[in-house]
Amino acid sequence: MDIKSAAVIGSGVMGSGIAAHLANAGIPVLLLDIVPPSAGESGDRSAVAKAALDRLLKAEPAAFMHKRNARLVTPGNIEDDLGALAGVDWIIEAVVENPAVKADLYRRIDAVRKPGSVVSSNTSTIPLAALVDGQSEAFRRDFLITHFFNPPRYMRLLELVTGPDTRTDAADALAAVCDRRLGKGVVRCNDRSGFIANRIGTFWIQSAVNAAMDLGLTVEEADAIVGRPMGIPKTGVFGLIDLVGLDLMPYIARSLLATLPPDDAYRALHREPELFTRMIAEGFTGRKGKGGFYRINKAGGGKVKEAIDLATGAYRPSGKAQLASIDAARDGLPALVAHPDKGGRYARRVLLETLSYAAGLVPEIAGDIVAVDEAMRLGYNWKHGPFELIDRLGADWLAAALDEAGQPVPDLLRRATGRSFYRVTEGRLRYLTVDGDHAEVTRPEGVLLLADVKRATKPVARNASASLWDIGDGVLCLEFTSKMNALDTDIMAMAERAAGLIGDGRGAWKALVVHNEGDNFSVGANLGLALFALNIALWPEIEAMAERGQQTYKALKYAPFPVVGAPSGMALGGGCEILLHCDHVQAHTETYMGLVEVGVGLLPGWGGCKELLTRHMADTKRPGGPMPAIAAAFETISTARVAKSAFEARDLKFLRPGDGITMNRDRLLADAKAKALELAAGYTPPEPVALRLPGPTARLALELAVEGFRATGKATPHDVVVSGAVATVLSGGDTDITRELGEDDLLALERRHFMALLHTPGTVARVEHMLTTGKPLRN
Amino acid sequence: MNSAVIVGYARSPFAIANKGQLTRVRPDDLAAAVVRGLLAQTGIDAGEIEDLILGCAFPEGEQGFNVGRLVGMLAGLPRSVAGTTVNRWCGSSMQAVHMAAGAIALGSGRAYIAAGVESMTRVPMMGFNPMPNPALAEREPGAYMSMGITAENLAATYGISRAEQEAFAADSHRKAAAARDGGRFDAEIVAIDTPDGTTVSRDGAIRPETTADTLATLKPAFRTDGSVTAGTSSPLTDGAAAVLVVNEEFAKAHGLKVLARIRATAVAGCDPTIMGIGPVPATRKALNLAGLTVDDLSVIESNEAFAVQALSVARELGFDPSRVNLDGGALALGHPLGATGARITGKAASLLKREGGAFALATQCIGGGQGIATVLEAV
Repeated sequence: MDIKSAAVIGSGVMGSGIAAHLANAGIPVLLLDIVPPSAGESGDRSAVAKAALDRLLKAEPAAFMHKRNARLVTPGNIEDDLGALAGVDWIIEAVVENPAVKADLYRRIDAVRKPGSVVSSNTSTIPLAALVDGQSEAFRRDFLITHFFNPPRYMRLLELVTGPDTRTDAADALAAVCDRRLGKGVVRCNDRSGFIANRIGTFWIQSAVNAAMDLGLTVEEADAIVGRPMGIPKTGVFGLIDLVGLDLMPYIARSLLATLPPDDAYRALHREPELFTRMIAEGFTGRKGKGGFYRINKAGGGKVKEAIDLATGAYRPSGKAQLASIDAARDGLPALVAHPDKGGRYARRVLLETLSYAAGLVPEIAGDIVAVDEAMRLGYNWKHGPFELIDRLGADWLAAALDEAGQPVPDLLRRATGRSFYRVTEGRLRYLTVDGDHAEVTRPEGVLLLADVKRATKPVARNASASLWDIGDGVLCLEFTSKMNALDTDIMAMAERAAGLIGDGRGAWKALVVHNEGDNFSVGANLGLALFALNIALWPEIEAMAERGQQTYKALKYAPFPVVGAPSGMALGGGCEILLHCDHVQAHTETYMGLVEVGVGLLPGWGGCKELLTRHMADTKRPGGPMPAIAAAFETISTARVAKSAFEARDLKFLRPGDGITMNRDRLLADAKAKALELAAGYTPPEPVALRLPGPTARLALELAVEGFRATGKATPHDVVVSGAVATVLSGGDTDITRELGEDDLLALERRHFMALLHTPGTVARVEHMLTTGKPLRN
Repeated sequence: MNSAVIVGYARSPFAIANKGQLTRVRPDDLAAAVVRGLLAQTGIDAGEIEDLILGCAFPEGEQGFNVGRLVGMLAGLPRSVAGTTVNRWCGSSMQAVHMAAGAIALGSGRAYIAAGVESMTRVPMMGFNPMPNPALAEREPGAYMSMGITAENLAATYGISRAEQEAFAADSHRKAAAARDGGRFDAEIVAIDTPDGTTVSRDGAIRPETTADTLATLKPAFRTDGSVTAGTSSPLTDGAAAVLVVNEEFAKAHGLKVLARIRATAVAGCDPTIMGIGPVPATRKALNLAGLTVDDLSVIESNEAFAVQALSVARELGFDPSRVNLDGGALALGHPLGATGARITGKAASLLKREGGAFALATQCIGGGQGIATVLEAV
């Protein structure tokens, strides 16, 4: 069954966010909410849903991947527009968590929906069994729970719960849509309170809060321990509560307490500290309130980061946590939990409580540990799920520690002792089943993970910053492995190595895919190295580095085999430039491309100016004459525009109309590989660049525009210098409109002006500032 | 020498560029609608017309080809009527009037449409392909200077304060709103049908609620430390205007209603970095040719490219403010570059008729450092 259209009922934060994301997938969606009591006879009866759509358009981070997606969302109300549900394939209920309200709504939906349509609830707390109680038989067959996480565009987890009556084909169809079209990691959960992620996540939050208060840790110390060292986002626990909203906590706790089994460990753990109650009452609920455990105090015109003293409840200036155990954590989790200071004791207690709780929940909440780990990774952004964490500590250690503390050891953990929850045999990842065997972790069809390839094989080649992997069928994968995937000469060398290995593409290797599984594809060239060279005036070396990058990228572009880029996350500066030279880019939707070099006082010097300009010049839909193309490329580069999705990257011409977009990150590499193989058959390299550019007249036109920005304070003095260099390159230098410039002419121009900028004190100051503060200097 | 008279004046409503009601109207269609309106208003037999002279500051894109000829075709003029496009930037359609008067004086023809158009929405200021000459920019920096900066230069040269500029701008809105509400634009405005299916018949830029106080809250638009704001600059505007200029004998013979006689015309160059002062030398020349002084003028249309620019000109020439821009100026109505000259010349002629008096002046400044002026006399 296919989902061609959908409806979301309930236009709150979750409902509207889900509607926006369905639109991102190209699915037209009705967004219905109640008729506001104030509407009366003449008022706008769909005002609630319309207001939600307005909010979506202003949401930060953006709910829509492209503003035009908003046109796929049609707001309405459940009185006048309920009949329209007859036309949709998938109805999602996201109304208030009240069983009576939902039951009544389901009956009304059931009366109008078309036969075979699927209805799902976004409930996070009410069991499916309770939801379908008293509903028609047809409804029970077509009903399931699809639990999204906030914000629905960005959080990759989708918990899917089916009941005994749910049609298998309906569940499979929805799972496929959520996976392929919405890009979600679909985790099947049992019909238990809180499903997986919130069941464990809420427990973990409570455990981390209790222990911090009992052991006398500051909020900074607690977050520094339960954050990064455990592979959890650096917001830790208190920062996370600030993000989610402290006022939500009692609500979540109450709903869990109402439905959890009587002997569940959460019952004993649950507390509502007086401080929290007071903070909620006074509006200190977090980032959306007046501040939370942290706040920025702007009193007196200043901007001071403050944190709450958990003992006194008063704000004080926030400082970096200083504990010996935090340093010890660099040697791994075992070193952290073994550390005698309060940080070590804190880590030990939180991990002991949380991990033993999680170990006791399989198979109650999910069929296997893989689902639990996946849910915590995708739903709470943990780097490692609870069972992966146990393996890092050792199942034996955890069991022994529980024994020592006189606490029961869960069955599954007992079975893991003497071995581990995961192990790799014959290159395959295996996990411990509830039966005590190790079974292979299988991936859905169309999912290819570089991590799996790396477990199964040795690299074809490797150096300090990059590796080449055999991803099968004659396709090589170039993986960046440097810190932050920063580009350096080792990466260039590895790209050249790949070109050498693939040769004419008719031997063992046919094509190259450039891909990695880092948070960001690459944030650009290694600035630290550049600054080092700059400080000791290694000018010829710097210029050689610039030229090396140009030549490597050019060689990839004109190689006799296809090169496919497969980015996810940020692809900035040199990371964007390598993609501009690929024959095809298969981008994850959450790819953020930009030529941001001007931020550090430079210009794209590895062919970025050349490629973006060529794309604009070649666009047959633009107005005539050279200036619109040059001005468009100039605007993108001189303002360091970063596309906020792959769709926006298309608008900015970082992606071409033929480049592909993959919604599910796990499917990116397989899609890229398939495209590489498709291109490999009968491949011919692209035509060389040949442009006629107007030269100094174009530069003057751009500089006159920049002068206006300088006069109004929108451009700084050094912006004028940097954009002047960009203007010179994009206008073709000292050329004339009658002359044709080739690839090498443009690269030489880029290089000359890149080097000239490096010689300016303003640029050096920008590079230094970026390296020390991580922020651009506006000089 | 044959004398030339103005026997008709029509214009489109003026709408803010990029967001107003005329954004979807092609400039050639807009000008053609105004030409048709002018013919209907005057009742002239179109076959009598010698030439359609169309002013346009950026004659490219939809204003390109020879848009003067094409507007004639679009307006349904007989094929025998010629058409040309002239460019003197903001002075383009006043230049069209001058060319018509000159041709009549020479006896080349007897009836001319002098029109102007600019869709600043559809053809951006500076055009699609600005390609200035770098050597000239080096030698004469004012040649390509932004108009806003020339306005700031005037403020510095003449010591005109921000508060004075704002009071002046608020007054322009007040006068324009009063004229609109009093129906004093009804005779000149030709309603325009848009592709959206709407009909536009009112100006879009007039803001009667504007006061010096509200203007004082705006940020400088062109220089951080400047005094000129968006509120004291004429807005980017879409619009068209046209006047019918004929031989005086011809007017009598055909029973056309004469608004005014063209007594003298002049253009003059000036320092491009203070281009806004251009009306001063141009007006002095024209008055000299007419043998008149400023005191002889009962009606003055002095274009308001910027408040500071109009104030500088008024101060330098000693205008009596009560005779200047009686129905408001470009600060309130807008300034569709190529159309403004025909508007203020036609307006000056019709005001001379309406208000009585012997002589009128229409004058405006021109980017690149020029002024243009026309002296009219009552018949």
